[in-house]
Amino acid sequence: MNETDTRAIEQTLRIGARPETVWRYWTDPQRMCDWWGVGAELDPRPGGTCRVEMGAGPVMQGEFLELVPYERIVFSFGWESPDGVPAIAPGSTRVEVTLSPDGEDTILTLRHTGIPVAHADEHAAGWGHFLPRLAQAAAG
Amino acid sequence: MDQALRAVADPTRRAILRLVRDGDLPAGAIAAHFPSMSRPAVSQHLRVLSDAGLVEVRPAGNRRLYRWRPEGLRDAAAFLEEMWSHRLARLKAAAEREEERP
Repeated sequence: MNETDTRAIEQTLRIGARPETVWRYWTDPQRMCDWWGVGAELDPRPGGTCRVEMGAGPVMQGEFLELVPYERIVFSFGWESPDGVPAIAPGSTRVEVTLSPDGEDTILTLRHTGIPVAHADEHAAGWGHFLPRLAQAAAG
Repeated sequence: MDQALRAVADPTRRAILRLVRDGDLPAGAIAAHFPSMSRPAVSQHLRVLSDAGLVEVRPAGNRRLYRWRPEGLRDAAAFLEEMWSHRLARLKAAAEREEERP
């Protein structure tokens, strides 16, 4: 694998809550633990810590890079590799979250870039498997 | 990925993964490494690892050999795709609950 061998993930979903509410789920440690992780240390300003203990395995280590209140959050994302979990070096990948109001709802788009890939042929099955679930999650 | 993460969250299962990483082993040889644990308990751990796609099993004569399945987790993109898919669904539910909208 060479360093340019990376992949991006993009997911979009509609949330029946306003961007101001959704925003707090990315910046308030207590709310973040309602959906991601069992512990979180968040210092939501550029250069601030973004650390999420995922409970069952890795601890996400990152840093906030950009914050536009209620619109956009960017943070770096990495973790040390526990056994069996793919290693993602701290700072090596990047997550961009955008929140767009749509009536009373929010359209959330998450783009995770810089993800190392192994071999393309190992992935084909994975994508076919996950896309239906993604549609289900988005519809849910 | 939540399934895979749950599978590796347990120290016994991580120890099993280390054992089978270097070569195929029958269940008996794996169980021998955990003298304080019952055989059914070890079998249950092997089943969790197998269901999560982290080990694969192949028959060899009258035994079943377990081996590490590196592609089970090395594929970071699939791993993260599933993680975000699960987690964002939870975020959606939590945010909607907060605004008390069904």
